[in-house]
Amino acid sequence: MMRQEYWTLMDPCCDYCLHSWDNPCAKYVVCRVRGPFCHKSVECREKRQRRVKEVLYGSQGVRINIGASSCGLAAGAEKVIEAVKDGLRSMGVEAEISAVGCLGLCFMEPFIEIRSEDGPSPIYGHVSPENVGDILAKYFEEGSVDGAFAIRRRTGRFKDEERVPLLDELDVWRKQVKWVSRNCGVINPESIEEYIVTGGYEGLSRALTMKPEEVIEEIRLAGLRGRGGAGFPTWLKWKICREQSSEEKYVICNADEGDPGAFMNRLLAESDPHRVLEGLIIAGYAIGASQGVIFVRAEKPLMAARLEKAVEDARRWGLLGENILGSGFSFDVRVMRSAGAFVCGEETAMIAAIEGRRAMPRQRPPYPASKGLWDKPTVVNNVETLAHVATIMAHGWREFAKYGTERSKGTKMFCVTGGVKRTGAFEVPIGTTIRALVYDIAGGPREGRMIKAVQIGGPSGGCLPERLFDLPIDYESLQEAGAIMGSGGLVVIDDTNCMVDVARYFTSFTLAESCGKCIPCRVGTKALYDRLSAIVEGMGSQEDLQLLEEIGMMMKEAALCALGGTAPNPILSSLRYFRDEYEAHILEKKCPAKVCSRLVTYAINQELCVKCGLCAKSCPVGAIVKTADGHFTVDESKCIRCGTCVITCPRGAVEKR
Amino acid sequence: MKVRINGLEVEAREGEKILDVANRLGIRIPTLCYLKNVYEGASCRICVVELGNGKLIPACAYEVSDGLTVSTDTPKIRESRRTTLELLLSAHRITCQNCPKKGECTLVELCSECGIEGIPVCAECPLHGEDCFIARGEICLGPITASGCKAECIRDGRACEGCRGPVTRRDVIERARRIYIEHDISLETVLERLKTYCASSHEFDLIREYLIVKEVVKE
Repeated sequence: MMRQEYWTLMDPCCDYCLHSWDNPCAKYVVCRVRGPFCHKSVECREKRQRRVKEVLYGSQGVRINIGASSCGLAAGAEKVIEAVKDGLRSMGVEAEISAVGCLGLCFMEPFIEIRSEDGPSPIYGHVSPENVGDILAKYFEEGSVDGAFAIRRRTGRFKDEERVPLLDELDVWRKQVKWVSRNCGVINPESIEEYIVTGGYEGLSRALTMKPEEVIEEIRLAGLRGRGGAGFPTWLKWKICREQSSEEKYVICNADEGDPGAFMNRLLAESDPHRVLEGLIIAGYAIGASQGVIFVRAEKPLMAARLEKAVEDARRWGLLGENILGSGFSFDVRVMRSAGAFVCGEETAMIAAIEGRRAMPRQRPPYPASKGLWDKPTVVNNVETLAHVATIMAHGWREFAKYGTERSKGTKMFCVTGGVKRTGAFEVPIGTTIRALVYDIAGGPREGRMIKAVQIGGPSGGCLPERLFDLPIDYESLQEAGAIMGSGGLVVIDDTNCMVDVARYFTSFTLAESCGKCIPCRVGTKALYDRLSAIVEGMGSQEDLQLLEEIGMMMKEAALCALGGTAPNPILSSLRYFRDEYEAHILEKKCPAKVCSRLVTYAINQELCVKCGLCAKSCPVGAIVKTADGHFTVDESKCIRCGTCVITCPRGAVEKR
Repeated sequence: MKVRINGLEVEAREGEKILDVANRLGIRIPTLCYLKNVYEGASCRICVVELGNGKLIPACAYEVSDGLTVSTDTPKIRESRRTTLELLLSAHRITCQNCPKKGECTLVELCSECGIEGIPVCAECPLHGEDCFIARGEICLGPITASGCKAECIRDGRACEGCRGPVTRRDVIERARRIYIEHDISLETVLERLKTYCASSHEFDLIREYLIVKEVVKE
């Protein structure tokens, strides 16, 4: 094994520890934190306990976590890290700085969390390089968290406790169940040691002591269903694949998440990559595979890099490779970056891409479970499914089956974006109502707005109107209402959005991402898009609606893969629930939400107008003119409906009609 | 194994496709993209048949299993075929009169079978190719663009913008010039469009020389 400058938990404690590649120890993982098991030594035990503490709280007893997954970095975490370093240096305080994953609370990014062994451990949101110095100074010099957006966890004592809200009591956290995302935003994703300390790879150790059939049985009892969207029982997929007589089998982790508005797979794999990898190894063991592939979207480079690092680390410590933990099971994983097409998320297209062919789906059956990669039985599981597998194996199926509904057990992560107060990725038990998710956890509509609908499942899903918000979210109920669970993206649409325009946006996405193999999808998406564009531009007719439905229904039935089969969902569902908006566009030539620029006219409210003339100055085409009596009016024939005048007017006198 | 097609029970072998079994029975299922042993990709969705559970699946790619029930002609199937054909034809602008195939065409037969009349023919026929933007009077930089794949036309459903930069070979540009003039496209507007990608380059000057300056000299 590789030599390092300092001793880590993964290294042998003394010469008694014999774990190595050639001679793997079955108790290697459990032994790290609770051991040593093979020899009695107080010294070794203390050495390990000391290291565990060091990992949790840093060598100085204080550790500063900074959310630095893609979302945190985009919000400016890198500069915050620099500022934290500067701040600590100027105060002369020594503390461990650790870049962790994402807590899922996107609305308060970037965040930092100070964890200390005996002092208060607050989480600060909306941190910037400018205010981080003050935050640290207050914390380390006065022990207070005054003047910052702070939340506290249950652990640790606070001076002014009642003024800092408790995380567990906040709506955004209280209704969540942190099952699969328990480590997200807590541990450093690039350190295998931190994963081990939080109970990592214990699921794998346990699985390897069981028979593969017993592992499948455990997953069956847990009632886990595929989290990629279709909800196929995971155990059944594994069982079918296990029963195939083939020397070689493969297992693929589908990390090609591409829906607009969905990022829970990225979040999971960036914040806790080892959990995904552990699930993949367990899946490989259960079906009898010797090779795994993680297929990562190339547009998410940090996710790919962290998964690659995880694979490398696991290989270094003998958790991947020959004879894993002395069980006789050999398994290796490679990370493959996709070329970044949405259709690669479809399992047969993904297999084609891995084989080096153009990513196009093929007709199923035969399903990959019997004929997949290189025509060998293959199991394809989503990132979240595999993370669930690892957690179930570590904590037992009973813990998992406590949550959820009768037909769908456990928890699911949802990404709530769009017109809500608190956007983010939240994990809730299946069966939670949309209302609880959107209003309680995500905080409801923004100031002065009204939520009209949610789009569940991205471009393949459908929109559900506000009156159906009491619907419990599970696979069947959503399907009946015309939407799908999908990977879990939930876009909240408020009254500033036009439903026709939203449907057109999602159709433009599928139009661009259609692989072009089958006619219903290739030409159908184009036909749908053209009709929607006509409606949005005020040139639609009643027949267009009929045509949309006719083509949509045909595509659902006849398209080759799920991409084409679900592409008309946004249109069909919005036609079902918001037909009045379509008809307003067609019959009255009006856009009720005042979004579709061709159907909006601008006018100046003379009562509010102070005749400053700013609108006339800012108009790029000179459409706002001063009349003889000093009023300003909009010349309809010149107006290009860019909306600049609305933004410039200091009094809000320019109105959309 | 036994399979039931349109109520007829028939013996079938492992791995056979529904289409093979139906053909053996003398039941005709229309196909378009299917060519045995050459292309079996189930792209055109014309050969859809209905399973016992009401699902539509392509007969050319679906393997039979024991006890499978298949209908090959139901209102649902006819509806689906018709819409598919109409979509296929919607992107198409050639008429039978000037088609080189002159009536020996599966597509025409399918159209009359499905009751589609008076529609131009041959969407995917390689003899037809793609509609030319220049022929429609739209500015396309295809003829003077160095396409990465060496194709003459990217066939993307929109006019070429020249993002890969221009070709500077004199003969190519002169040919392009003839094409543009033939279709009444002003050479200035072509150059204007080309500016977006290579306004200040040496190639741009060369092309301007070949395209415009020569024209002046000629006149």
